[in-house]
Amino acid sequence: MTGEATNPAPGVEATRRAALAGARDPFALELVKNALATLADEMALTVSRTARSFVVKEALDFSTALFLADGEMIAQGTCLPFHLGAMPFAVRSVLRQFGGTIAPGDLFITNDPWDGSTHLPDIVLVKPVFAGERLVAFTAALAHMTDIGGRIPGGNASDSTEIYQEGLRIPPSRIWRRGEPDENLFRLIERNVRVPDKVLGDIRSLVAACVVGERELERLVARHGVEGFEAQCRDLLDYTERFTRAELAKLPRGSWSFVDHLDGDGIDPAPIRFEARVTIGDGELEIDFTGSAPQVRGAIHCVYPFTLSTALACVRSMVDLSIPNNAGYFRPIRVIAPEGSVVNPRPPAAVAARGITGIRIADTVFGALAQAVPGLIPACGSNLPDVGVSFGVTDRETGRSHVYLEFLLASWGGGPDRDGMDACTGTLVNYSNTPAEMVEADVQIAVERYALVPDSGGPGRFRGGLAIERHLRFRVDGATLQIRSDRRDHPPWGLDGGGPGMGSDVVIRRADGRIERKVAKFLTTVDRGDVFQVRLAGGGGHGDPMRRDPVAVREDVLDGKMTTGHARAAYGVVLVGPGLDIDEAATRLARESAAASRISA
Amino acid sequence: MDTRIGIDIGGTFTDLVYLAPDGALRREKVLSTPDDYARGIAGALGAAIARGDLEVGAISQLMHGTTVATNAILEGKGARVALVTTEGFRDVLEIRRLRMPVLYDIRWRRPPPLVPRRLRFEVAGRIDHMGAEERPLDEEGARAVLAQALGTGVEAIAICLINAYANGAHERRLREILRGLDPAIPVTLSSELLPEIKEYERTSTTVVNAYVLPVVRTYLGRLEGELRARRIARPLAIMQSSGGAMSAAAAAEKPIHIIESGPAAGVVGAAEVARRLGDLSVLGFDMGGTTAKAALVEGGRFHRVGSLEVGGGINVSGRLLSGGGYHVRAPAIDIAEVGAGGGSLVRIDAGGGLRVGPESAGAAPGPACYARGGTVPTVTDANVVLGFVNPEALAGGSFPIRRDLAAAAIEAHVARPLGLTLEEAAWGIHRVADAAMARAVRAVSTERGRDPRDFALMAFGGNGPVHAATIARLLEIRRILVPPVPGVFSALGMLFPDVEHHYVRTFKRPLAGLDAAALEEAFAALEREGAQALAADGFVPAARRLERAIDLRYAGANSELTVAWPGATGDLAGALRAAFAALHEGQYGYASAEEGVETMNLRVVARGIPDRPRVPARIALPGEAGPARRARRVHFGPGHGTMEVPVCTRMELGAEWRAGPLLVEEFDSTTVVPPGGRARRIAWDTIDVEVA
Repeated sequence: MTGEATNPAPGVEATRRAALAGARDPFALELVKNALATLADEMALTVSRTARSFVVKEALDFSTALFLADGEMIAQGTCLPFHLGAMPFAVRSVLRQFGGTIAPGDLFITNDPWDGSTHLPDIVLVKPVFAGERLVAFTAALAHMTDIGGRIPGGNASDSTEIYQEGLRIPPSRIWRRGEPDENLFRLIERNVRVPDKVLGDIRSLVAACVVGERELERLVARHGVEGFEAQCRDLLDYTERFTRAELAKLPRGSWSFVDHLDGDGIDPAPIRFEARVTIGDGELEIDFTGSAPQVRGAIHCVYPFTLSTALACVRSMVDLSIPNNAGYFRPIRVIAPEGSVVNPRPPAAVAARGITGIRIADTVFGALAQAVPGLIPACGSNLPDVGVSFGVTDRETGRSHVYLEFLLASWGGGPDRDGMDACTGTLVNYSNTPAEMVEADVQIAVERYALVPDSGGPGRFRGGLAIERHLRFRVDGATLQIRSDRRDHPPWGLDGGGPGMGSDVVIRRADGRIERKVAKFLTTVDRGDVFQVRLAGGGGHGDPMRRDPVAVREDVLDGKMTTGHARAAYGVVLVGPGLDIDEAATRLARESAAASRISA
Repeated sequence: MDTRIGIDIGGTFTDLVYLAPDGALRREKVLSTPDDYARGIAGALGAAIARGDLEVGAISQLMHGTTVATNAILEGKGARVALVTTEGFRDVLEIRRLRMPVLYDIRWRRPPPLVPRRLRFEVAGRIDHMGAEERPLDEEGARAVLAQALGTGVEAIAICLINAYANGAHERRLREILRGLDPAIPVTLSSELLPEIKEYERTSTTVVNAYVLPVVRTYLGRLEGELRARRIARPLAIMQSSGGAMSAAAAAEKPIHIIESGPAAGVVGAAEVARRLGDLSVLGFDMGGTTAKAALVEGGRFHRVGSLEVGGGINVSGRLLSGGGYHVRAPAIDIAEVGAGGGSLVRIDAGGGLRVGPESAGAAPGPACYARGGTVPTVTDANVVLGFVNPEALAGGSFPIRRDLAAAAIEAHVARPLGLTLEEAAWGIHRVADAAMARAVRAVSTERGRDPRDFALMAFGGNGPVHAATIARLLEIRRILVPPVPGVFSALGMLFPDVEHHYVRTFKRPLAGLDAAALEEAFAALEREGAQALAADGFVPAARRLERAIDLRYAGANSELTVAWPGATGDLAGALRAAFAALHEGQYGYASAEEGVETMNLRVVARGIPDRPRVPARIALPGEAGPARRARRVHFGPGHGTMEVPVCTRMELGAEWRAGPLLVEEFDSTTVVPPGGRARRIAWDTIDVEVA
């Protein structure tokens, strides 16, 4: 990528599309749309059913997609929105490197962030689909591996300074040639990762998905003929573009920008700046990240495809949900990310912890969009996995390593007409939590607490969702614990007069009772009896808290989600007596004096 | 005589099917009485007795499918429940698994927890994952908390402690303490209802059980009272989501098992008919007014899943994206559902694409052709215009149809905006509906690694036989089967299942060095429970069948496979490992020789075997008057255009093939046989259709 990277537009396609304009059949369109979406979902289900690792199964950290022979994406499976639009880069890399030599039965692999993956743990497989000897399509599947080697178990360390520390880097490679696996490559992977069973198991599940996709796509092509299939796909892309433009045209025109921060780059706790300027035109939209921090020392860099897909996924929340996931949706949206910045780094930048940067990019984009469409966007939440826990221990007797990862998230920010949901994933990831009982039965960790935190939601007419705390007690000595948390110094922001949510906090309570307060990102060794206590941030509030319905405040107090002290201090609601009745007069007085002090301030 | 009666309740109609041992079969549709469904059922039976169609003494059994548990949840009308849980885990029920059922949707609202936070109480004490007591139960604190809970006027108590799957001692002690304070309040213990690992799933299931228990108990009590008042004293059994039957008494204890009563009955019926026709493999396809459902039946057997969600809405990719409803961990027939049915509304979206559903015209106003004020076209309107559905009247002439209104709606909303003729537009709507519904069929076939071409499509529900031919063509299926009484088929399906009780218990141990005695003891405990339940149902020991199965996985993997019990063997661990490897190979395409395998859950199904066959060898449908018109014009798309098509009844079809195009019209549905296809009547009065 040189200069300003933008969403690559297919040149030849414009001409071919023009030729096909008018050939549209709304029924055939619906049929092909349905068929492709079903197929991409079937691939996704194959991954979900056959994958071995937690990250894939419970965090749904994987994606599947279908492409035309020129690399235009025609469908993506419903998995992780963060991957929306990132996968075409892998197919284009394969085309660039192997174009002309691609044969039936081939299969390609890569995890190179500058060649179509977005950090090393994400392995992408790409399989060509043929009709006879003619290349007609590709299927692709991507999943986050439990480990990819490198200095820290789990491949998510935020304190690496070069990609060389982050693990095995696989350039686009042919892992099957005409149906024959390249055993050397498989063995290379096996030797370089800490949990080869899981990693190879997950790779096999990606293979299975690509094969299922290939088989069904061949059938679809056979039914419609190559020309007919391609024409219908082009129609589908055009339809999607039209649909998207029509939806974008409903938004107000103008330009809005917003700034947010990360608590450090993984090494230095100084804030990292993100800036997004959203410009909405007639049926098109541009997001410009100029003004975001230049490259840093740590591993929080976000390669362009991830920045792009995050931005695309944010805009997806603004338009009709039934717009199909294909390249037609990308056409009216332009994403600018300056090269050499945290949002578009040059190699050999470290990128393992790019997830947290994606989250902050999303928050920044939503912050800008909230100004454009104030009636729709909620205040900032803590509903994306801001906190990553990597736990690794090596059994001294067997030499086997055990790695356990969990990504934690909490709640939504308050919306223009509703409270933020307490404890719910955001729209851009669909992470699940790990059951405490499974953690205890599988890993040397006992979960001692997993609960909402009273008073932690940002005050507002519609309050932010509550923070969640989780306490992990370790039952083994000499384990490595690596924490990547955030939103401590820059808690989730409120909107329209609403306050920020409570910031996050990480503490280790050692077995001997010592309390260690930690910075947001750290690496330490833990022993039996030590307890790691993390409190995630609460969501931001929306609107003036003094206008919150006192009945809603009382309900929160009755539910133990708020203390009477907080009700009074943040909302001016005075509750009295054993029944916690609303003292109307005192409440009016408290709210009036709050208004007065605000005016005088 | 020995008449068995299947009763299926829907929002609008209650379907009744009467089956005599000689196979004589009658059906009835009456209006439901949603304020008290028991009244409608008893009323219908009373009327049948009064008419002389039914003798009280002839009734041997009543089988009932009910939505009362589901409705209590959907309408928020269950009991006021208190939940008691382990210190630090009060919010498990509300945090859930965090997941959303939809992507990108910032307007989505999560359903509120069935127990609000103020009614969720913590007690100190902890059992570890192996069942050992780590910290003793704080009995004093527990007593205080229970007294406080009772003081809030709750109507039921749910108890779910961390790791109680491994040892329920603390839960049982809590119940003892509770009984000291209140001897009568209904209480559900997670360790008894579902001793299975994963605290959210177990908590939610326990809470749902406590939440609907008083409602179901009251309803079934009232129904039995109404029946007794009409001197019907025969046993009432309830259809389970799993496809088994259970006594009304058992259903009132564990109502989580009857949530998907109705849909399960249709699949049970499809499986039974498939068995009668020679252990066929079929894809059951049930199309009603608002949704279409599909299920896989292989060699006459259906498949089950381990859990379902109540109130999650309809979501095609629901198997990936869960979290929309209330999680219930209980066996259920694997049914895929999409929001497309006869009443689905048709519209054109902003990109110019034609869309069908999931919004539905419902019972009111209904499709435009019902002349009840609907002006937006529906799938049924398209079928009326095409001539698939009788353009004059339905239900034997009792329900008038207005083709002109259907045509006007399609003209205005689809044909004119897209510049198409009326027939082109109607044909397009029909095909788009097919595409949506085909997703349900694919969900249980291709998504499960099955090729739909290897199956027959068994179509039922009022609209299933109308769309079967075109859906079959889309999926390249050659054979369609339309069972008897397709429009009330679920009520018939209720008459087929065995009494079943399902038990599960987590037993997580490495297979290497397996303690076979401990495993045997754990299984035996489940079997004792099953035998007791069957004894309570009146089954003598010889009529009790206990089937074991075991969930295994590679250590640390995220999903298990259920392996049938290998039976007595010298090397149990070896036999289990081999069976697991074979299953893993079949499902995932590989098996690993190096990886450790571990046991996860033990399962027992206790089955009551009836003393004589419940299903007659053949059935006899009542005669039906032939249609008023013996032919009508039907549009079959661009290939065939509009043709004059003969209309006949099911019983007029014989064993000889009759060439399509042909319409087989009956009281509750119409089977479309397309040009190039042919039809005949085979065993069990099933219509057998071959399409080209």
